[in-house]
Amino acid sequence: MSQFSTNEAVSLEKQVETVLNPATKFELIDEVYELQRCAGWIKANDFQKVCLQFPDHLLQDSSEVALRLGKQVGRTVYILADTAYESCCIDYVAAGHINADAIIHFGPVCFSKTSANIPYLNIYEKDELDLGALEQCLVPLNEKIVILLDTSFIHLTDKIVAKFPDHTIKTINSDNLTIENDTVVFIGGRNHHRKLPNLKFSHKPKTLYYFNDKAPSLINYTLDEKVLRRRYFLVEKIKDSNTVGIVIGTLGVSNYLKAIERLKKLLTLHSKKYYLVSVGKPTVAKLANFPEIDIYVVVTCALNEIYDSRDYYKPIVTIYDVEMALNPAPEGLEFTYDYNDVITRPLNDVTSDPNDVSLLTGRIRGTSTIQGAELVSKEAGTVALNTNHGAGFLANRTWKGLERDVGGDEVKMASEGRRGIAQSYNDETSG
Amino acid sequence: MVNFTVDEIRAVMDKKRNIRNMSVIAHVDHGKSTLTDSLVSKAGIIAGAKAGETRFTDTRKDEQDRCITIKSTAISMYFELEDRDLVFITNPEQREKEEKGFLINLIDSPGHVDFSSEVTAALRVTDGALVVVDCVSGVCVQTETVLRQAIAERIKPILFMNKMDRALLELQLDSEELYQTFQRIVENVNVIIATYADDNGPMGNIHVDPSKGSVGFGSGLHGWAFTLKQFAEMYSEKFKIDVVKLMNRLWGENFFNPKTKKWAKQKEADNKRSFCMYILDPIYKIFDSIMNYRKEEYEALFPKLGIQLKHEDKDKDGKPLLKVVMRTWLPAGEALLQMIAIHLPSPVTAQKYRMEMLYEGPHDDEAAIGIKNCDPNAPLMMYVSKMVPTSDKGRFYAFGRVFSGKVATGMKARIMGPNYTPGKKEDLYEKAIQRTILMMGRNVEAIEDVPSGNICGLVGVDQFLVKTGTITTFKDAHNLRVMKFSVSPVVRVAVEPKNPADLPKLVEGLKRLAKSDPMVQCIIEESGEHIIAGAGELHLEICLKDLEEDHACIPIKKSDPVVSYRETVVEESNQMCLSKSPNKHNRLFMKAVPMPEGLAEDIDDGKVNPRDDFKSRARYLGEKYEYDVTEARKIWCFGPDGTGPNILVDCTKGVQYLNEIKDSVVAGFQWATKEGVLSEENLRGVRFNIYDVTLHADAIHRGGGQIIPTTRRCLYACLLTAGPRLMEPVYQCEIQCPEVAVGGIYGVLNRRRGHVFEEQQVAGTPMFVVKAYLPVNESFGFTADLRSNTGGQAFPQCVFDHWQILPGDPLETSSRPYTVVQETRKRKGLKEGLPDLSQYLDKL
Repeated sequence: MSQFSTNEAVSLEKQVETVLNPATKFELIDEVYELQRCAGWIKANDFQKVCLQFPDHLLQDSSEVALRLGKQVGRTVYILADTAYESCCIDYVAAGHINADAIIHFGPVCFSKTSANIPYLNIYEKDELDLGALEQCLVPLNEKIVILLDTSFIHLTDKIVAKFPDHTIKTINSDNLTIENDTVVFIGGRNHHRKLPNLKFSHKPKTLYYFNDKAPSLINYTLDEKVLRRRYFLVEKIKDSNTVGIVIGTLGVSNYLKAIERLKKLLTLHSKKYYLVSVGKPTVAKLANFPEIDIYVVVTCALNEIYDSRDYYKPIVTIYDVEMALNPAPEGLEFTYDYNDVITRPLNDVTSDPNDVSLLTGRIRGTSTIQGAELVSKEAGTVALNTNHGAGFLANRTWKGLERDVGGDEVKMASEGRRGIAQSYNDETSG
Repeated sequence: MVNFTVDEIRAVMDKKRNIRNMSVIAHVDHGKSTLTDSLVSKAGIIAGAKAGETRFTDTRKDEQDRCITIKSTAISMYFELEDRDLVFITNPEQREKEEKGFLINLIDSPGHVDFSSEVTAALRVTDGALVVVDCVSGVCVQTETVLRQAIAERIKPILFMNKMDRALLELQLDSEELYQTFQRIVENVNVIIATYADDNGPMGNIHVDPSKGSVGFGSGLHGWAFTLKQFAEMYSEKFKIDVVKLMNRLWGENFFNPKTKKWAKQKEADNKRSFCMYILDPIYKIFDSIMNYRKEEYEALFPKLGIQLKHEDKDKDGKPLLKVVMRTWLPAGEALLQMIAIHLPSPVTAQKYRMEMLYEGPHDDEAAIGIKNCDPNAPLMMYVSKMVPTSDKGRFYAFGRVFSGKVATGMKARIMGPNYTPGKKEDLYEKAIQRTILMMGRNVEAIEDVPSGNICGLVGVDQFLVKTGTITTFKDAHNLRVMKFSVSPVVRVAVEPKNPADLPKLVEGLKRLAKSDPMVQCIIEESGEHIIAGAGELHLEICLKDLEEDHACIPIKKSDPVVSYRETVVEESNQMCLSKSPNKHNRLFMKAVPMPEGLAEDIDDGKVNPRDDFKSRARYLGEKYEYDVTEARKIWCFGPDGTGPNILVDCTKGVQYLNEIKDSVVAGFQWATKEGVLSEENLRGVRFNIYDVTLHADAIHRGGGQIIPTTRRCLYACLLTAGPRLMEPVYQCEIQCPEVAVGGIYGVLNRRRGHVFEEQQVAGTPMFVVKAYLPVNESFGFTADLRSNTGGQAFPQCVFDHWQILPGDPLETSSRPYTVVQETRKRKGLKEGLPDLSQYLDKL
């Protein structure tokens, strides 16, 4: 059976590159992972099959947590280790494999609205905060402020409320967070560089500071103009592209199917070809496998950092960018990473100006008007006529497959090839 | 011809041998537009008295304010040649039998170097060029540039020495000195012609020669001009010598002794050069007597010279009288139009030898033959050389030349952009021509149709073309070759609307601007900045003004001008660079090497290009650059954009599956050459060699996803190990000034990292010409700086010349290139700091 499975030596020698946090101390696990609360929640709802979802950096605690929790509730709990997309979203698909009744999600969470209805419980991380330093930093702000706590500081809420009775304390997980026109100090842990713009875009506080706990100070967060300016380029690029890849980057965020359907509709309206690409978690290598695709639009949760990456062979855009390019609003649509904010807009009766000048290539963007107007003689072997899309791309490649030179090549007997799988054949030594 | 109508013009359009399409080209301020006005005054579109005072072809307000031509303007003129002059046209292709009328389509072009692209566009649609030279300043850099371009386009030149009035009134040259000045200019022009044209070439001998009548003299401002023909005609009766023979006698080493009535070939004691004696002396006499108010003297002269003044002019004196007298005696229009009709080629003559330069397709297809014969019944072939804004905002007239067939209102035609390739649909449209129009200075006139050999405008094709294109009715037609500009858009500014909500208007305005100027580039960079790139500061200034006032109509903020840099290397990679694919199963081994000097320029000029036959290209590279011929045959591609000045060479031996990954490697190469490792600027002058490749045996594991990013990483490693450098654009700068100002020029140039490579006196004048190289980056504000340091006496003309390495290692944090790299990265929103080699280089 060796041809169907990986050579075990390879698996054993494989180096997994992850940045591991030091494991949580044994005695703290109960407290950090709030096992009692978990157990209480499970028992209260009488869940039979419960999955525990960990992000990669907490995986080394997972077995201990599972064992202890299993003991407390008296039934087996499952660990979802390999999250298909982002670990901040609830992984319903993996949980669905064992028909789980509930999910307990540990670690950072994105609060995206979810697409499925399995009950879940979020257990946040617990980070330390130097309250004294925070107090020092807040002194110069002579006004009433809102202290906004990220998930990993929620466990300190009571302490903070006690410490700063004059200020309003809010937590990021509250259901209807309203901080519009307030002066906000955000106490954030991981991911704060993405959460900040999201806060700014979605909640529009008057001023937004964040507390830098590494070197205690308050930093006034101003919107990064560059992020917004790059949209101009991306919007133009979308208008230029003939073939668009729609990358599935989530199965957990609500309305992802709606978003994809909407994209398809928009692209069809503009006679752009699209491919739906589902490759698990997108990477540079995976997406470079489709060189005929001009641009990728990734449907994923608002905390995904793929949008900021410049390493990809072809640009990565948000759904917002596509909307701006292909369904421009008369009123200004404001930038957001969260597609749920844009896909509810009406689909204008869009017809793009066919003779627009591209500001990237300096060419006319429209497609030829001669399409279909002329008859093309079919030559032997014609399967499809050249288009600007996939087939046209392939026709321009220099490598068109093995060449058959009938009569020219010497005829040889077939010989036995290799055995095994590509990662390591039987006749190869690994490496 | 005061009353010519469109119908009359249309009738003449069919007489293709009687058409002359010509441009007026010259250095800035040598008097093109003024001279053109005197031609137009002759053809009767504006009143004769206004010639020299109005600039008819400067239709824009800023052109009139600045007294500088910015856009080229076309005018059609009609002119009849007298029978005695018709005999000078001997070539049957140069005139229709029994037809005296000539249709002259003239394009006045700008002289400032920043607008050279307008000249290029003008040259494309014309067959002849009137080269205007200010006889006081002589042949200048822009004269040479435009003349060179004209010859490259197979445009026949004739010469006009302008501003003779200044030579006489200001410089007070004596007649022999003036002759020597003329002689020198003629020589200079002929040297340029000889350098770029071959006497045995298809155009034949195109040297200009006063004794043949292809050189004119005069003053555009005062509205008078002559060729030797005019004087020969005056004297031929007196001498009883045939006009043609006399013309030969009136130029060069021909001396006449008035006492013995003998001609001689050399200067002797009592003889005098015929040109001075018979041509300059009478002119001098008129000038002298009128300017010194010796009324009896000049009034006695007039009847002798056959000058009859109008009643109202008789009371004038001094300069106004001088103007009237000279204009009456030697009307500029007459002399110039004769010169144009006699010496410039008709479309029939010109298209015979121009076809092979113009047409990209096979030289024997229907289109080629139609062009060659200038056949109005052949399929339509028209080249659109520029877009002219209409009064309707955002719409343009497509201005161009019909080379074959007829273009008519309502006719269905194929519109092919510069990226059209036969058999494909890209950049191809089929549309009806809404309207054909005649463009005459400020006015346009609708016309039913326009046959081959003529220049016209089209309405309704502007949406399908950005700047230029080919219009045809022939299904298998190839493109007419795109124009090559002598200037490059090296100066850039970023623009944004003052009010962010106006952004859509800005974008729309940029698109219009891109159309309206033959060369400006309007781009959105990866960082999202809106960039306008032009040839120089003046060009940008005009573009920004147009954008703000005409195209976008919103207030605009602009950044300081910046230049774009190029990345290159100066040595071979110090190690074999290995990068492994993400799955670790494929390995690429490559090195970067700087190209030998000159090769990058050869690629820019198209002397070495991706469409060449690979064998002849390899031979060329072997001979000129000592490249190994077998390697040179295996150039995989050029980049960026498939044509740029970097190459990827396959130096491997017997690697399995190599051709299968070629497309992926090429894609990675295009990516890396477009966005270099230092600051994502284009690469220039880098050759990458692939030495070895190990690939996974299974195709699925060596797909694009594995190879494309890996190639990029490997190329980046190659660059970082090969002494990466930045290149900056450098202007060649020519400055004309009196001797006293030369010191000031040196001071300014030194402060701006410029260096002088030539300094010489313009022979016969007190002027000096200083030629220098000046980094474009240092050129901002140069003109003003120069003026203030030379008391306003020095005037520079800067034109992009080459790329030069910015001294210093960008990998050293104290160097200047390092600062530039960091600034660029910041502007582009990239991570600041230096790229890390270990990110790109893998260990075996």
